[in-house]
Amino acid sequence: MSFPSAVVFLWVRTWRNRVVRQVQRLKRPRYLLGALVGLAYLYSLVGRSVFVQGTGRAVSPNARLFAELSLEVSVLGTLVTAWVLGADRPALTFTQTEVQTFFAAPVTRKALLHYKLLRGLLSAVLAALAATLFVGRFTSPRPVLFFLGAALAMGTLYLHGTAASFVRAWLVSQGRWGSAVRWAVVAGVLVAGMGTLLSTLRDYPLPENLSRPFAVREWLRDVLDAPGLRAVLWPGRALVAPAMARSWEGFLRFLPASLALLVAHYAWVLAVEVPFEDSAVAGAEARTRRREQRAARSGSIRVGRVPFVLQARGRPEVALLWKNLIARRRMGSGLVMLLSFGVLGAVFALVMGDTRLFSNSREFLGPMALMVALAMAVIGPSAFRTDLRMDLPKLELLRALPLTGRQVVGAELAASALTLGVAQWVMLLLALVLGVGADDVTLAPWSTPVVLGLLPVLPALGLAGLFVQNAAVVLLPAWIPADSERARGVEALGQRLLTLVGTLVVTFLGLLPAAVVALLVGYPLFTVMGRWAVPLAGLAAAGALCAEVALGVAVLGRAFERLDVSEEQSNEA
Amino acid sequence: MEPALDVEGLEKTYGAVRAVRGLSFQVAPGEVLGLVGPNGAGKTSTLRCLAGILPPSAGRVRVAGFDVAQAPVEAKRELAFLPDEPRFFEYLTVWEHLNFTARLYGVEDWEARGRALLEEMELTGREKSLPGELSRGMKQKLSIACGFLHQPRLILLDEPLTGLDPLGIRRMKASLRRRAEEGTALVLSSHLLPLVEELCHRLLVIAGGRAVALGSLPEIREQMAGGAGDGASLEELFVRITSAASEEARARGHEPA
Repeated sequence: MSFPSAVVFLWVRTWRNRVVRQVQRLKRPRYLLGALVGLAYLYSLVGRSVFVQGTGRAVSPNARLFAELSLEVSVLGTLVTAWVLGADRPALTFTQTEVQTFFAAPVTRKALLHYKLLRGLLSAVLAALAATLFVGRFTSPRPVLFFLGAALAMGTLYLHGTAASFVRAWLVSQGRWGSAVRWAVVAGVLVAGMGTLLSTLRDYPLPENLSRPFAVREWLRDVLDAPGLRAVLWPGRALVAPAMARSWEGFLRFLPASLALLVAHYAWVLAVEVPFEDSAVAGAEARTRRREQRAARSGSIRVGRVPFVLQARGRPEVALLWKNLIARRRMGSGLVMLLSFGVLGAVFALVMGDTRLFSNSREFLGPMALMVALAMAVIGPSAFRTDLRMDLPKLELLRALPLTGRQVVGAELAASALTLGVAQWVMLLLALVLGVGADDVTLAPWSTPVVLGLLPVLPALGLAGLFVQNAAVVLLPAWIPADSERARGVEALGQRLLTLVGTLVVTFLGLLPAAVVALLVGYPLFTVMGRWAVPLAGLAAAGALCAEVALGVAVLGRAFERLDVSEEQSNEA
Repeated sequence: MEPALDVEGLEKTYGAVRAVRGLSFQVAPGEVLGLVGPNGAGKTSTLRCLAGILPPSAGRVRVAGFDVAQAPVEAKRELAFLPDEPRFFEYLTVWEHLNFTARLYGVEDWEARGRALLEEMELTGREKSLPGELSRGMKQKLSIACGFLHQPRLILLDEPLTGLDPLGIRRMKASLRRRAEEGTALVLSSHLLPLVEELCHRLLVIAGGRAVALGSLPEIREQMAGGAGDGASLEELFVRITSAASEEARARGHEPA
């Protein structure tokens, strides 16, 4: 069997086996349901309109200008990257399997190069498809033309990057003069480009009256159409033009130049080919090492103090809480993510012109702290994952521990619930001290009672959310993506959507009894105590939620004990 | 004397596949039982059922008198399962793994025992290392140290020498032998037949999920019809027994799982 036919065999069988495996999975009702939901979602997202009928929508000139400019700049960025950044070695990347299989096989270097180029071009086509689905349908009235044009452009850019890496590797192999030639040419091109840009900006200064309608758009168009910048942007324009064509006539007008560029780049790659085996082997090994480090997370964990000393005597499940708190401290990103959201929100408010942060910090920070605490109750259970979701890949290890299912589930929940609860308390105490709605006569008297009422309710709500997320792990382990790996395919997409909807439904159903208890306790007390009944009603609601979770943990513990690890693993295999 | 492990009619099925079929055997305290069989014979499934990781489809497993199905926590306290590919919590150091294990099993003098075990496993100086920083052999040793910490009455080992260097293999064999002499029962699954022959008092050969031979090496030789096993090495016996099992399975119209 020749190398090309072996490669065709490999690709065809790989795809066939993947499809067969996915179709076989559809025999299980949950995968079938997931596939149907996923397909319906994709259809609603993309629909027939993109490729069959065209969107039929008029594309806004702003969107078109923005798309053109972005594409041209990204083309130039790719060219600069190819010549300036990265290592001076051939940019052909092979996997460890490819290295072990093909490099030892009786295959010429030219054949390996063609194999890699073909793979790169196929990847470019897939990238063009994704770009069409997510960008092209908003920026082009004819997405098919956008797809064809984008595929040509991305393929050419891929060939350019490969050729540039070959040239750089060759120049480096020539010693100092090679590097000097490269940097002289790169510096010359960059200086010429910058000079042209500055001279164009001198001829077309920024309009003084920017508030005039379309002033910026018109100025930008003038600048881009100036002769100097037209020359600088020409490579990008030539590549982008077919994708941005509005009609088949326009596309066919640009096509010959694009095809000629593609063919020229292909010839260039073949002409400047350099030995790439050493760098391919080193690159494959480095990538494998990085992947292993990522999987083991050894590079990103910093060993520090433990949250508390774990005595050998005492309830054994505390060991799980201890190790999860360590995990939160050493690998935690949830809290950082939430705080980043807070900071970003404040920056956004400032950018939008809300300067109350400086003029009246207290008036601004109190409500903001309350909002963050409320937001944590909703998004916290998804962000804080040091629980069964983190330990799902180690289910076998958990099952071997001398603990009941209830102990495992309860202890796994505890670390996330504690961290989330403490974070919420900090925000609520901040809101309590600074006050919420202090400048409003109606709101001000309610501020303290409501925040006091939320002190027990929000952590309990977070706990309930965490319980639902962990229940999904135990009841539908194949539907929940494990910590470091994600199921692929349309059925996996549908399953995630169903899990999300299910989580929301279960959370709201769980809230009903707590709301009823809060009403039963709060209403009679309100007639006696007025607004100070709110904290007591909150306490009652939190108690009801915690009781529900305790009951749920007992039931879930039984399910955990019955969970057949092998069945779930064999389904995923 | 109460057996450390008592297995009766153990079955494990995955859908239509019967991985383990009616296994029954006992292991006495201080005894080392070798579990051998070809790939896919059901060894790992058997060990996982014995460790309480997988629920058996039928049958009963008792560890130190505790039924694994009825009293799993008590049974698991008496055993240690050392898998061929040990998994660790990647954010806990070597010493913290021992601390964690000590709390789970209530080992009060864990620090002294832990230090001795790290010394024995040549992991001294590695206390603050994360699992990701350990070689495969070191991970195997850490798994063994954690498994031995609570002095279990039954140790289940799946390919225990994987990744160990020759010196490590030698030490490990001595360590296992010493624990057996101290009264710990061991079930050792391995493809390394010389190791099994050297360490094990009795052998359980399984093929297609069934027990095809059980007894000491001389007893198994004896069991071979017509004295065909006379003077045969374990490797020769293994090939004959498992080949015969495959023939039998084919004659019945199905391949072993």
